[in-house]
Order: sequence, then C-alpha cells, then structure tokens
Amino acid sequence: MSEAVLRAVGVHKRYGGVRALRGVDFELRGGAIHGLVGENGSGKSTLLRILSGQLAPDAGEVLLSGMPVRFGDAAQAMQAGIATVTQETTLVLGLSVAENIFLGPRKERRWYGIDWRKTRSRARAILERLELDLDPDRPVAELRPDQQQMVEIARALSMNARVVILDEPTSSLSDDEVNALFSAVRALRREGVATAFVSHRLSEVFDLVDAVTVLRDGSVVGSGPIGKYDRESLIGEMIGRALEHLDLGRHEHVSTNPVLRVRDFSVPGRVEGIDLAVERGEIVGLAGLVGAGRSGLLEGLFGLHPTAGGTIEIDGKPAACRDPVSAMRLGLGYVPADRKTLGLVQDMTVRENLLMAHTARTWRLRRPSAAREQRLVEEAIGNLGIVVESPNAPVARLSGGNQQKVVLAKWLANNPKVLLLDEPTRGVDVGAKAEIYRLLNEIKETGVGILVSSSETPELRLLCDRILVMYRGRVAASFTRAEATEAQITRYAVGHA
Amino acid sequence: MSGVEGSDVVARPEAGVDPRPRQGGAARASKAAFRLRFLSVLVLFVLVFVFFSVTKSSFFTSSDIDALLTGASILWMVSIGLTFVMLAGGFDLSLGSLLALAGIALGHLMVGSGVPFGFAIAITLLFGLALGAGVNGVLIGKMGLPFLVVTLGTLTLYGGLVDLWSKSATTEILNPSLTALAFNHALGVPIPVWIMIGVFLAALYLQRSTYFGRDVYAVGGSADAARLSGVRVSRTLIAVYGIAGLLAALAGVLQDARIGAASPLVGSTVIFDAAAAVLLGGTSFAGGIGGVGGTAIGVLFLATLQQGLSVSGVQDYWQQIITGAILVVVVLLDRIQREGLASIGIRPRSHGARSKPEIRASSSPSP
Repeated sequence: MSEAVLRAVGVHKRYGGVRALRGVDFELRGGAIHGLVGENGSGKSTLLRILSGQLAPDAGEVLLSGMPVRFGDAAQAMQAGIATVTQETTLVLGLSVAENIFLGPRKERRWYGIDWRKTRSRARAILERLELDLDPDRPVAELRPDQQQMVEIARALSMNARVVILDEPTSSLSDDEVNALFSAVRALRREGVATAFVSHRLSEVFDLVDAVTVLRDGSVVGSGPIGKYDRESLIGEMIGRALEHLDLGRHEHVSTNPVLRVRDFSVPGRVEGIDLAVERGEIVGLAGLVGAGRSGLLEGLFGLHPTAGGTIEIDGKPAACRDPVSAMRLGLGYVPADRKTLGLVQDMTVRENLLMAHTARTWRLRRPSAAREQRLVEEAIGNLGIVVESPNAPVARLSGGNQQKVVLAKWLANNPKVLLLDEPTRGVDVGAKAEIYRLLNEIKETGVGILVSSSETPELRLLCDRILVMYRGRVAASFTRAEATEAQITRYAVGHA
Repeated sequence: MSGVEGSDVVARPEAGVDPRPRQGGAARASKAAFRLRFLSVLVLFVLVFVFFSVTKSSFFTSSDIDALLTGASILWMVSIGLTFVMLAGGFDLSLGSLLALAGIALGHLMVGSGVPFGFAIAITLLFGLALGAGVNGVLIGKMGLPFLVVTLGTLTLYGGLVDLWSKSATTEILNPSLTALAFNHALGVPIPVWIMIGVFLAALYLQRSTYFGRDVYAVGGSADAARLSGVRVSRTLIAVYGIAGLLAALAGVLQDARIGAASPLVGSTVIFDAAAAVLLGGTSFAGGIGGVGGTAIGVLFLATLQQGLSVSGVQDYWQQIITGAILVVVVLLDRIQREGLASIGIRPRSHGARSKPEIRASSSPSP
C-alpha cells in the first residue's frame, strides 16, 4: 500500500439544524479498497459527496495528494481524477459502450472527424485492463445493470482516475453480477487506484475491502484493516448507540383474528413468498435496506402491480386487490413514500385533497355539498391538528408534516381497516414526526391495522408492536417489540442470518 | 423525543431527501399566475373592444356585435371542449377534422337519408361524442398511448374520411330549420348566442360543481396521485375526450348551418385558434390549472381583435401575426412574473469558472 491519495481532515457538515458530519477524518490509499459502513443516516453519503466534490464541507478540508482541493461540482472532481459510481448510472443509454467510455469531446479525432476505429480500439484496451468481456459497439441499454456500472468504471479508468468511489453499487445486483463487478474493482486495485466502497451487505464488505471505516451519527467510531473485525464486532460498532424511549403507552391491544392476512404473496422482481398478518389495532413494521422490497410489498398489496400473486384476506374474507379502486373498497389505505407527487395533488386545495378518496365512489355528476364537506374537513383538521390557514388553501403551501397529515386524513375519512404506510415521516421535521407517531398510535387504538415501512430502525422500534425485517424481497426475520433490538434488526437487514 | 431526534439527525441526507423540505409555492404561484393571465387578457379584451368602438363607428352597432358573437360560436365550442382536455393534462389535435366529419355526417343524414332535422342533429352530436370518447379517449385513457401521437393520427384519419365520404365536394343543405339555427333570433338574441351561453353554463357547472370537475383537475395535476386516491383516471380521460368530441360535432352543426352546406374544407385551422384561446384564458398546457371562464374571455378577445382589425381594413395576415405575437408575449410575461427572468434563460453570468470541455487525462490537482 502506498501513501494516502485522498484525505478528508476534520470535515464538518450540517443541513440546517441537522449535523450530518462532526469532524470526520478519512483517507484512501492507492492500490487499496477501503470500505465505509454505517447505518442509514450515519453520514456515509454526505461524506462521499464531499469527497467527490458534490458538496462543500462547512469546516475541514479535502486533500488530494497532499494538496487542499475544493471542487465546484462533480465534473471538476472528475477532471482531477476522482470518479463516482452509484447504482444510478450516468450513461447515455442509446449510445455504445465505446461512445460512453469516451463521452463528449474525448474521442479520437482526425481532420475528417471522429476516428471510430481508434476510439474503439482504445475502448477495447481499457475493457481488457478491467478484464471485461464487453463488445465496445454494443448499445449500453442492452447491458445488465452490473455491466453498465463496469462501463462507468471503465470511463473513470479512461480518464486516469486515481480515486474511484463506489456508492452502494451492488444494492440492485444479483450475486453473479456482484462477483463480476468485484473482479473489475480488483482490477482497479491492481492499477493502483484508490477505491472507496460502500455497501450495506456486510458479506460483500468482508469479501472485497482491505480496510474499513465505521461511521455512526456523523463521527468515525472505528477504522482499521478488515482483519481486525468480524461480523459481530462490525455490527456492534455500527449500532452501538443508546436510545431513549418515547413511551406511547400500552401495546397489548391484540386480537386473535388478523384484519390483514397475506399468504405467499409475490410481486415479480420485487418480493416473493411473503407471509404476514396484521391484527386489529396493531402496528407492524417493515424494516430493511433500501431495495429490500418494502415498497414493492406495500404497492403490491394496494393493487399497483397487476402481476402480483398470492392470497390476501381482509377481515377473514379473501380479497382481490386488482387496482387502487378495489383495494380501497376492501378497506385499504395507502400512504406512498413520495408525498409530493404521489400522495397529494399539489395544485389542489387541502379540502379537495382531503376528500379525494372519500368521495371517489360518489356519482361523478353529483354536486359536492359544501356544508357537509366543510364539516368533514374541519373535523379532520381539528382531529389531526393540521396547521392550515383555510381548508381552501393550496396543499402545496403546507409544511411537509402538515401535508403528510392531510394524506393520513384522506384515508381516515374513508374508514379504512388497514393502512399501508411507506416512509410516513420522510422529509418531515422532528416535531411533526412525533405528532405523526402519536396520530398513528391513536389510529391504531381505534382498531385499524397498520403496516408501516421505514428505513429508520429507531422509528420502527418506537412505533411498532412487531417488526418484520426484509432482505432481498423476502421476510428474513420477525420480532416482537421486546425482542427487536437494533442489533438484531441490522443483522438480518444486512443478510446475516 | 431525543431518541427520535437522534435518528432523524442524519437520516435525511442519506435518504436523498432535500434537507429543507419546504418547497411550498409552486401551486400558489401557478394559481396566481392563472388569475393574472386571466385578468390581463380580460383587461386586454376590454381595451381592444373600447378602442375599436371609439375609433371605428361602424364597430359598435348591435348587428356587428351579433355578427361577432355568432362568428365566434364555432371557435367557442371547440375551445371549451379543448379546455377540458387540457385541464386533464392532454391535447386533442383532431378536433378540426372531427368538426368537418360531423358536418359531413349531418349533410348525409339530412340530404342523403332524409332524417328529420332534430333527429339528424342528435345523431351527429352522438357521433362526435362516440368518436371522441371511443377512439381518442380509449386509446389515450384506457390504453395509455401518448395523446399527441394518437390525436395526430386521428386528425389525419378523420381528414381522409371527410374527403372519402364527401367525395371532396360541398353538399348544399336546404333546410329552413338549419338556417334558422344560425340566423334567427329568440328574445332579440341570435340562436347561436343562446347555444353558446347554454354550453358555457353547462361546462362551468361541470367544471366547478361536480365531482367529475374535481377529477379532471386531479388527473391534470397529478394522474398518479389521483389514481392512488381512487380517482378513475381512465374514465375521466375518456370523458374529457368525449366532451371535446361532442362539442366539436356541435361546432360542425353550427358550421353547416352558417354556410347552408356540408363542406369538406372547414375546420382545418380551428384547433390553432382554439389552443390560443385556451392558453390566453390561463389554462396551463401541463394540466390541472385554468378553466372555461378564462377560455370564454380568450375566445371573445380573439374574435374582437379579428373583427376590429378587419373592420379597420387590416389585411388577414396581419391579424394572424398580431394574434400569434400576443399569445407568445402573454405566455412569456406570465412565466417571467411567476419565476423571474432566470426561468427563461436570461441571467447575469456569475458562474465564471465553468470547466472547459477538454477533459485532459493529466489529472493535476487544482488547488
């Protein structure tokens, strides 16, 4: 191993009142793969974005070969030799592999234009250095996701990148694809490139990296050669935090016949073989990494995937949720993760949004009763504590927390039996989060079954009577509230059975 | 609370969500912009009307007002139908062809088959409704095809059918009831004006006072969000294209009545005027914002301008140039009003150090 190519020294970053990084030191060495691990929200992405020039640190500096650097954007960082590869590629899908490797003005030129033969042979040489068996003339759109990422690595190599940052490149890849990608990454190591690797799957980290750094709550809590760690000690460092409890009262409101029962449920490509039950007045949590299938499961239950298979019973009766309309009729309500574009129609008023589901089955040429609507809306605004100047204000004018309450109110107006919630507190400030937790608890007390997905484990532990941990489209483990420690959930979420 | 806070602290940047989640003003701004454009066109309309009334003594006579209104009746129908389609986030290029096709159908029914007057009109209207809903509506709403491609196809298709069916010839329709429809008065007001008022009030009611009207705005605002809330998006789209078809057929009937014949040459440019009227009236191309009230003002403004210019002896092409320029300027102004100069690409260049295109592989660190 050689000296540090890229170093971050004492890096601080805050977003408003939120401290994402608190004095982080981190270094990448040439010819070494350095793993970066931590829970959702530990500050990994923020650190990577600072290293790759997409964010400026509030304090501290980034040194490239010992010289302090400050990049305006990712393109400048790329020019200086720092490339980033994420699961979302920046390739132009319609162009060939060679064209993507030498995107823009970097192709070989002659007086008559682009020298395609030379461009192609240079592309082939780079692919060979990475030991990739790819035809430079193939359109990128035809490649598998892992191959597309490899093209992106090849592009980085073609620009003589000295640092390659791999930000969760594997989260949507299969095992074979991961192996292929890893051999390309090892080829990078042989080329002397400094590589940072982020993954939630610890087995991959142990497979690939030479050294590892653990982030927790924006600080480095451990760092060293990978041989120093085993799975247990690594997980221990990732989660070793004490959590205060917000007591939401009793949790024994459980009946014996579930309001929602799902057997052998599958959505092709998203989830398979799901069995679960939600009791009346119970909150069941779905934990798991991004891409583990939590959203796919909720969407499937609400009838958004026509190819979904398996059986659903609501109140003991078989239910066919073919589309949102039939799912609603059967007593389901669905709060999507993307509140801005899916949860609400931003151009419409609070009143119109709030009553949208409730009135969805009324005869369409009927005239809405202003008095009745006013009463319903004011009731909902009062019950849920929505802060709004008038029910006729555009919903876009509300804060994130209040918008989310409008989405909840929309479903409550429909007297649902089961609520399906996807990341209900995403993008909501801390105070509003607590209110949403309180509301969900009140809703549950009325006998509604709630299935809630969240990428924040502490939130689930606070809220849920039971927690199911998903891993790669399946339920990997099920815990009661008492059993569900942070360590247990993280263990199963990263696929460590 | 602090336990929760702890988790929140760092979760947001990771989840890829803007750490400052308040992105409030979009809808407020666009609603305000709608009102602004509506008002500016209303003011413009009044100004133009007053200007021509004062400068041209021949302009402001009741018979000329009648002529102006009845002349605008065809555009009125098409524009109101198009408003519903555009509110729902779509567009219908085929309405002009459909207008002509309905006119030919009426000619065949009355002249060729001798169907009684009222009956023939009812069949023609149903024909327009069926084509709008059953072809454009089903292809776009049910099967999810892109509206521009579908309606471009039906525009050409119906245009061909018009020529096939009429053998490219104009058929005279000699029917006193049809002539009366265009030229008689009831209570001192021309019949077409009564029809315009009726259609406008019905459309306004549908838009403002029914659940259907709400569905149209919801589908135009965000079709996905509407669908997730149980709104039947397909049905709503089929209905708006049906309404547009019905009103285009009504425009076809009025057209036949005005010229006393079924002609294959009508309707070819009406969609451009209609789009201009709807946009001038403040309805957004993106859907979800606007309404038939604005469209009515838009149509009246265009009709007044054209009438006034032709009374003043201004050439036809000048009318076109002025109409087009006004449309562009109005849309441009309200964009600037809403989002500032930067939104149309005019900004002071403060962003000096853009990276040069030649990305050389030398990779020297820039200190």
